[in-house]
Amino acid sequence: MKRVSITGIIIIALFFAGCKKQLTTDAIGLVTLEQVNAAPTLNTVETAVSSSYELLSSRLNILAEWDWGGGLVFQNDYVMQDIASDDMEKKWNPDGDQPWMDEINNFTYTATNGGPNGLWKYDYEGIKRINLAISFLTKSDIETITGITTARKNQLLGEAYFLRCFYYFSLVTNFGDVPLILAPVQTYQEAFTVAVRADKNLVWDRIKADLALAKPLLPNTKYSSASEKWRVSKGAVIALQAKVALYTQKWTEVITFVTELETLGFYSLNANYFSSFSAAAEFTDNEVIFCYDHQSNQTPKRGNGICAPLDWGFFAPSTSFLNAFEANDPRLFYTVDVANKNVNKMLGTLNGTYKGNDDAPTNKVYIRMADPLLWKAEAYNETGNYPAAITLINQIRARARNSVTAAGTFPPAGTLPDRPASTDKATIQAWLVSERRVELGFESQRMADLKRWGTAKAVMIAHGKNFLDKHYLYPIPQGEIDASAGTLTQNPGY
Amino acid sequence: MKKNLTKIFRFIPRQFSPGLKFCSCIFLMLMMQVSVTAQTPDTKISGKIVNSSGEPMQGVSIAVKNTTNMTTTDINGDFTLVAPSNAVLVMSYVGFKKQEVSVAGKTQLQITLEPVESALGDVVVVGYTSQRKASITGAVSTVNMKDLSKTRIPDVAQALQGQVAGVFVAANTGAPGDGIKVRIRGEGTLGNNDVLYVVDGVPTRDISFLNATDIKTLTVLKDASATAIYGSRAAGGVVVITTNSGQKGRTSIDVDYFTGTHMATNLPKMLNADQYLTVKDMAWHNTLGNAPGATSPYQADRSRPDLANTDWLDELFNKGKSQSFQVAASGGSEKVQYLLSAGYYTQDGIVVEDHDQYKRFNFRANINADITDRLKVGTNLQITYANQDKLSSSGDAPGVIRHALIRPPVLSVYKNVNDPTYSVDNPYTDLPFYTRFNGGWNTNYEYSSNPIAIVHFTDDKRKTYQTFGNVFAEYALLKDKSLRLRSNLGVDISFSHNKNFAENFGDDNNQDSSAGNPYHGLGRNNKPNNLDENLGQTMTFTFSNTLNYLKTINGKHSINALLGTESISSKSSGIGGSRQNFDNSTGPFRYLDYGSTNNAGSAGSATNWNLVSFFASGTYGYDNKYFATATIRADGSSRFGPNNKWGYFPSVSAGWKISQEKFMDNIDWLSNLKLRASWGKSGNQEIPDHAYETVVSKVGGVVNIIRYGNPDVKWESTTQTNIGLDLGILKNKLSFSADYFIKQTDDILLSVGLPAVSVGVIEKTLVNAGQVSNKGFELGINYQDYDHPFKYSVNANVATLTNKVDKLYTFVKSIIDEGTHTKTEAGQPISSYYGLVFDGIYQNAAEISEHLFSNPNGVQPGDIRFKDLDHDGQINANDRAFIGNPIPKTTWGFSFSAEYMRFDFSFLLQGVQGVDRYNDLKQILNYDSRPFNSMVSVLDSWHGEGTSNTTPRVTFNNNGGGYVSSVFVEDASYLRLKNIEIGYTFNTAKIGVKNMRLFVSGQNLLTSTKYTGLDPESTSLIDKGTYPQSKAFIVGAKIKL
Repeated sequence: MKRVSITGIIIIALFFAGCKKQLTTDAIGLVTLEQVNAAPTLNTVETAVSSSYELLSSRLNILAEWDWGGGLVFQNDYVMQDIASDDMEKKWNPDGDQPWMDEINNFTYTATNGGPNGLWKYDYEGIKRINLAISFLTKSDIETITGITTARKNQLLGEAYFLRCFYYFSLVTNFGDVPLILAPVQTYQEAFTVAVRADKNLVWDRIKADLALAKPLLPNTKYSSASEKWRVSKGAVIALQAKVALYTQKWTEVITFVTELETLGFYSLNANYFSSFSAAAEFTDNEVIFCYDHQSNQTPKRGNGICAPLDWGFFAPSTSFLNAFEANDPRLFYTVDVANKNVNKMLGTLNGTYKGNDDAPTNKVYIRMADPLLWKAEAYNETGNYPAAITLINQIRARARNSVTAAGTFPPAGTLPDRPASTDKATIQAWLVSERRVELGFESQRMADLKRWGTAKAVMIAHGKNFLDKHYLYPIPQGEIDASAGTLTQNPGY
Repeated sequence: MKKNLTKIFRFIPRQFSPGLKFCSCIFLMLMMQVSVTAQTPDTKISGKIVNSSGEPMQGVSIAVKNTTNMTTTDINGDFTLVAPSNAVLVMSYVGFKKQEVSVAGKTQLQITLEPVESALGDVVVVGYTSQRKASITGAVSTVNMKDLSKTRIPDVAQALQGQVAGVFVAANTGAPGDGIKVRIRGEGTLGNNDVLYVVDGVPTRDISFLNATDIKTLTVLKDASATAIYGSRAAGGVVVITTNSGQKGRTSIDVDYFTGTHMATNLPKMLNADQYLTVKDMAWHNTLGNAPGATSPYQADRSRPDLANTDWLDELFNKGKSQSFQVAASGGSEKVQYLLSAGYYTQDGIVVEDHDQYKRFNFRANINADITDRLKVGTNLQITYANQDKLSSSGDAPGVIRHALIRPPVLSVYKNVNDPTYSVDNPYTDLPFYTRFNGGWNTNYEYSSNPIAIVHFTDDKRKTYQTFGNVFAEYALLKDKSLRLRSNLGVDISFSHNKNFAENFGDDNNQDSSAGNPYHGLGRNNKPNNLDENLGQTMTFTFSNTLNYLKTINGKHSINALLGTESISSKSSGIGGSRQNFDNSTGPFRYLDYGSTNNAGSAGSATNWNLVSFFASGTYGYDNKYFATATIRADGSSRFGPNNKWGYFPSVSAGWKISQEKFMDNIDWLSNLKLRASWGKSGNQEIPDHAYETVVSKVGGVVNIIRYGNPDVKWESTTQTNIGLDLGILKNKLSFSADYFIKQTDDILLSVGLPAVSVGVIEKTLVNAGQVSNKGFELGINYQDYDHPFKYSVNANVATLTNKVDKLYTFVKSIIDEGTHTKTEAGQPISSYYGLVFDGIYQNAAEISEHLFSNPNGVQPGDIRFKDLDHDGQINANDRAFIGNPIPKTTWGFSFSAEYMRFDFSFLLQGVQGVDRYNDLKQILNYDSRPFNSMVSVLDSWHGEGTSNTTPRVTFNNNGGGYVSSVFVEDASYLRLKNIEIGYTFNTAKIGVKNMRLFVSGQNLLTSTKYTGLDPESTSLIDKGTYPQSKAFIVGAKIKL
């Protein structure tokens, strides 16, 4: 009996001894931010930057699984800028699929529409990732902790500043005033306190300042990295500086920056219009300044998923867009093959290859030299240098008419003749507007251009859409207003 | 003499304790008087058995003690039996006290059976100890296991449906092996409300491994005085279960078998091909506004030679089958008792083929041994193997049910053998109306999936191997055994093995014919084929030690004191692998080795938690009249940050048995009256492990913050006040038990979605963000009458519940969940439906311009008119309002059982009132902008001014049905005949078995509801079309050898 009692007492004593340890043992199976912050590795820093590019990709389902209604299946620039404009229809055959896209197309959307939600979440997810990367890269002792070289650190930091500006550019042009978040949120409470919209001028100022910071950090080469040509280059930074100047109507700065870009000597118009888009010509062309590099068969995946919806009949040209092309303009077929319902520019091929492939290698082009040249033309026109403006427009037209067509022949003589000399600003602007439409069709520029020019309302009403003044800005996603417990305010009219 | 006896027995309830003694003496004396001394062995004994009213009782079993010699009484209550003249006869009958009578040489016996006094003397197993039912002061319900077993449902938790007031049970889906939702006294929090089960002292959150026939007692602890002893995990209520054990000296073998046929029931009526084409033609005209004479593709397709008229629901469902076989052997000597049982349950669900199967084997060994007079050891150990063939049973993943509903009837199930894409292995149609290779399918019919093909190609097996049980030792420290030390080690070790082979099938809609395209030539589903295999293991050890003092002093003071410690540690880990592009995808090759090494995946993870506790409880009773109980528990949990590791959970309660008071002596009809009151706190720690940490994912080396932690996160604590009244009338023939409770949950643990603007797309963060209250009234009524040949009992229970969020604080004013169409806000029930409010149908353009004066937004006559709540002349997010309550206000159950001669009969009705559900299925069927099939109700749609003010026009545009609105919120109240059973017990004396009963039973035979979805019982907030509960017919036998 005594033995039993003693055993009992020992058991209980052991129990008390074990308690404290049980409650203080370290968590298993997870990594805390604290642990990562304390000791980032070289790989941590590298991947923090590289994963920040991902939101520019057209890979499917990056942020959710088939959340169509929430606008999260793919990066939805094509919906928000092209379907919204007079260039693109939702599908080749109208149907009831994805009614939220129809709402964007018809300007009947409300704040719960998936479009603004997707745009917003892609951009702010990118900003979250890049802020973490910047916080690592700006640690004073990062070089000693990780062994990263100063040159590599500077390059990564340059990339990071650019990417943050790129995401903010999208936000400020689509939503106006937006929260300006420049460092990783540290606590969950802070997530609420920082969710306050900043004046759009503050956002523009910050973009300009960050781009100025990024420029000297990047190497003076066409590609920042010979093996990873997709990385942000100095040229991309200068191009974005020019675009920011354009959107803030700083015309002389536009000219200065585009000239600086040209002086680099890395970029020129490709001989053939399609070379910028051809999946086969990637990183061997002269024109592309910034793109997302899709690759097939990678783990994790980094293929272009937009070719899958193309196969489901999405993204078709509007009649108005097709009519905008002058006779025999080779750019029409290179943009879209109406007979076979192939959007060649998005597929990166001319024969339907990759259509239906959700892991295609076709890159998504964000900035190519034709665009900055037309910005410069616009700036010249705005500043009264009409001959320079016309010269640039004609440069674009000449390349187009001198592009070999898909059939292997040149367009007939008289195609896309040079614009004559003119000193009428409005005429030149009209030329510029039509040139941008056909040159940059299906590249998610049209709606932003129309809004920037202030002509969106007139153009869209002429196109038969009920565009109201409020539509110059997209609504802040209702879900975000709800989640912020009301600290985020809505744009007027929504 | 008969008159005397009656008088004496009527006397008993009034003077409970002294009276009983007194009457026993009289009884024995009377027995002596009728006895005639005789010593001859094996005499023929005859007798009559009557009830207290002197009426003969039929079907009473009379056994000669310690032999298998037995008989039963006939319709006149008479019996004859050959037995030694010194034998002892044991008389037993349901609802009556077992009685032993010494033959003592008599040949003629007259015996009166005494009814059981509503189990007031029963012992109820509660937290870490047991109590006499009379002394219980909290809200505790014991479940009648006999009634429970009639549900013929393998999952004990589901079988609780309708049995106990205040316990809400619903099956998530009707698919075999899918989960069950159980709520005791409502939803205390937005987070985890799951019940804590304690099986033989071992806590668990899931009892799907248990076999109902292995259970001896099942007690539901509802109020805080009963649950607080389980502290931090008890806020959702506790169910305490003990398993059967062997009996001293009584060996028995029990065999239970049943088999059932299951079929789908209450299916909606869908359009046939002709109606479908008519409706879509109308929609086409409404959408494009063409001339009425224009020919739509739907009109044109009427002449297709391959046009089918398929009833997809009919194709999808067939008869299911279930079988259950259980055998248990038990017995024991004075020192050692044992029970061994084995069970096999299998069910093939109501969907065609057999990819919706559930199988379960369980083996149990319960052994108790008295090592010495004061030391007892024992084990209750179960091994279970379960295999679920998982079909995509709910939702849109793609759910087979949903696709059977939406797929146009114009498509056939199988392809024509001449179709160039036909193959013997894959004869199923997929995309609509193939015309040429590489694309070219008809886009007028939307790309739904063929549900029969999904079923055929599904190969998803979820296996669980579980060892669950305990080993205990109990030592009496004092000679009178009043003080006992008990050490209990519980184990719950489970391994899971999930293996899902996703076979490639369907049409190749891929136009990319480039050599580099890995998908070229593959069907569009599961492209390419892939195998995903996961192994998981969870080990939980529960070590508890208790010191229990149980004593009655001077016959007046009863004391039950308990002191204990408990330590729980749990560790889980899992590994998984995946490969794709299996060259050969037939069964023998469905192993990872045979997949391509390109894109091969592997994964591994682990997590752990620990809980350390100290607890004490004491119950004091005075003179069987006044009772008081107090408990306290301290819990330390690894789930919480350093600031809030420990939580404290006290409770107090008191009871007053008024019927024991002197002044009640003269009230003849009242046999029991007890008043109970309790107050206490319990907690909730069911949050993810280490939720206080900010966590970073490093999947593939990519650093990304995936969750912000909250270092201050702490216990959710539920304070519950309960007032109860127990009433027994007419010798407890009629008994009531009523409770009123107020349950207030503070610091509710809430996962708050942080704004993406600050943190990107990320997991939610747990905060202590508010207060929720549940108030309710519960009533249980039991009436039983065993005094006549027709014996019956009626049980009814009803519970009301008012759920309300009292406040939400910090950064959370309200929680709008877009995914579930709900909003949680102070003053409303948790997760109330939130959306636009239906206000009829726009009849004409003038009505639209009047109502939507600032922005008509493309609305057409025939579209849904919503209330413009902010009167700004447009419909937008500001016009949303609360449109439905997802938490049932009233739940009830009603059961009846009766016996007459050798027949028995019972049924259970169960229902829920005052609950709404979002019928998303109705949205996609009748209101979607895509040309899916619809329910016949769409035929009443608006087609011109004045034609309908309830059903909008059909169109491929948004007719208002694309918005979250009250149009889809339906009353999901229902009444269901859960089971009805008729049994017959054979006179088995001749065939050498002790007892044999055959029964036929029907499950879910009738349902009455206004809900138009498939099953009002389904629990998802958004009903996207779930696998419905089936109707079943069952036959079975229960044999005691």
